[in-house]
Amino acid sequence: MQKVVVDADKRSFRINLKELNHYKDLFYILAYRDIRVRYAQTFLGFLWAFLQPAATLLIFILVFGLAIKIDTGAIPYPLFAICGISMWSYFSFVLNQSGNSIIGAQEMIKKIYFPRLVVPLSKAVVGFVDFGVALILLIVLMVVYQVAPSPNIWAAPLFILLNIIAALGVGIWLSALSIRYRDFQHVIPFLVQFGLYATPVAYPARLVPDKYLWLYNLNPMVGIIEGFRWSIFGGNSPNEYFWISFATIILLFITSLIYFKKVEDTMADIV
Amino acid sequence: MSDIAISVEGLGKKYKIGRRKSGNLRDSLSSIFKRNSHNHPITQSPNQQINDFWALKDINFEVKQGEAVGIIGRNGAGKSTLLKILSRITKPTTGRFEINGRVSSLLEVGTGFHMELTGRENIYLNGTILGMKRKEIKAKFDEIVAFSGVEEFIDTPVKHYSSGMKVRLAFSVAAHLEPEILIIDEVLAVGDAEFQKKCLGKMEDVTGQGRTVLFVSHNLGAVNQLCSKAIFLSNGKLTSLGPTEKIINDYISDNMFLGGIREWKNSSKPKNNDFIIEKVTLSQRGKFSSELIPYEDIEVDIYFQNLIKDQNTSVGIQLFTNLETAVLSSVNWSSSTLNIDPFTNGKFSEGRFHSKCKIPEGLLNEGNYYINVVLLKNHNKVSLIEKKVISFSIVNTGYMREGFHQSWLGVVRPKLFWHTNKISNESN
Repeated sequence: MQKVVVDADKRSFRINLKELNHYKDLFYILAYRDIRVRYAQTFLGFLWAFLQPAATLLIFILVFGLAIKIDTGAIPYPLFAICGISMWSYFSFVLNQSGNSIIGAQEMIKKIYFPRLVVPLSKAVVGFVDFGVALILLIVLMVVYQVAPSPNIWAAPLFILLNIIAALGVGIWLSALSIRYRDFQHVIPFLVQFGLYATPVAYPARLVPDKYLWLYNLNPMVGIIEGFRWSIFGGNSPNEYFWISFATIILLFITSLIYFKKVEDTMADIV
Repeated sequence: MSDIAISVEGLGKKYKIGRRKSGNLRDSLSSIFKRNSHNHPITQSPNQQINDFWALKDINFEVKQGEAVGIIGRNGAGKSTLLKILSRITKPTTGRFEINGRVSSLLEVGTGFHMELTGRENIYLNGTILGMKRKEIKAKFDEIVAFSGVEEFIDTPVKHYSSGMKVRLAFSVAAHLEPEILIIDEVLAVGDAEFQKKCLGKMEDVTGQGRTVLFVSHNLGAVNQLCSKAIFLSNGKLTSLGPTEKIINDYISDNMFLGGIREWKNSSKPKNNDFIIEKVTLSQRGKFSSELIPYEDIEVDIYFQNLIKDQNTSVGIQLFTNLETAVLSSVNWSSSTLNIDPFTNGKFSEGRFHSKCKIPEGLLNEGNYYINVVLLKNHNKVSLIEKKVISFSIVNTGYMREGFHQSWLGVVRPKLFWHTNKISNESN
């Protein structure tokens, strides 16, 4: 028999994994709901998932590829760009969605108990749809340009995993912060916009001067996108700066869980 | 396994009032600085104490496995806060509680319904939110749909449903939860009478199956029907706890005026364009009281003002038990009085009036009652009705009982004619 003890004097910062596992059906169905509803009542429907990265790619090709003529070495610019776009749009989508998720779920939070963490976590799954479409675009372009994947391709899933963790880390932080301070709702679009320029999506990281690389790599997406490109196209393997990104990701994720847990107890009172 | 389902010790919940619930960053930052720079007790804000509001304080009780317990109390007494804490939506500020068993709470039906999704999808969504597993929902799916009565529209987006259909679907999902402990808040307030009956039946099944139920409702009849025990909360404190009927009686007597006199301040007197009700009293043998004995007439005195000249007025009362069963209604029409009321069917001039009505001795059974006062104009049009004006109880004095101590069935307990005679000596 299930036993629950709640004591006002004892606060635990442990994440109850057993409980999260118990609610995995909720996790899936929330993701299912978001995916189902995302393109409901739109004329183009699912096509939007394709149009968004395609349009971004087109603009990047025009601006950075043809006008500015950024040097991407052996990799054709469209391939270089879509590789970054796929990872960046997953990151920004999940960050945005999970950052706003607790505010969006306040009706539920006020009425039912469930581990609140399920809400921002489920957004990671929602992002897979668009990410999948962007990856297909990448594969199609690789076929078109006849570029074979590098032998490092085994590492691609690891960078995707890191991307999920990074997106969730920032997203969970923002979801817990914005329920307390609505200011952070306004920070989210700014982060996404600013982040695009501070991340090697449209340009390679080597354009950044060496002395600023440590600072640059504090942006977790720098390590992830550079690493993902390396796993697909080869070239210079991730250097010591990658570990700065890596450490930032892990730190963000762990602290986000701790902060979320702290806010979780009072969520129903402050929404 | 312990036979205690819920045990609550010293539970309290404090809310800060007057402060923004979701703060903004500036407030938080400046309060951090304040905290660091001012530690002097005098400079500390003195209204910190005033801003604290205890929605619940020092609540202690235990619920055994399989018990159905009703929670009653006025609005703002802390009922919902208690349920919120027990269903873990919010944390208590003080105290602790322990729950043995799987809990489902229905604080409002239809939580998480999404308008763009179909009925089918919403059953899965809502069921999962309420804590069911996908497998369980699948197994009960047909039952849920049948109970809701929306079979035809199950693959239609819920946004096209009528509000009644939505509520029925939502309740059906909730009704098919199989928790060991069920926490319910006011769900009976939904749907039409037919559906309510269905819900009440379903809840009786639940309690009948030995589930533990915590039930908050304003419907005292439903609480009485479903719960063997009850808790009476008032101003965040547990006032009494015990058998439902006793607690309901406590609630009724707490809720209304006690001493057999009901008066209003000038501004709050019940009134409309025709009448003002000024005072209502209950008395026996000339003494005001709300604790009445069964073998004396009960005098109900109604003092009111007539505001319209030559208004054809009648005065009436409605008598209800505390469980909202109508006992009788009476009006001073010549056809319904024992005597002739001088003002029966009369044209009333403007001014103050006093009507006396006697409820005969030996009519009402022991228990709790309340009275509504009705003023009619144009002979039979209800103009002003003031509900629950005054409550009273008929106390057990041993009258008619001859040593029988159990509760006497019935709302009324008049003496009736009986005659028995012997027909024959043979026993077959």
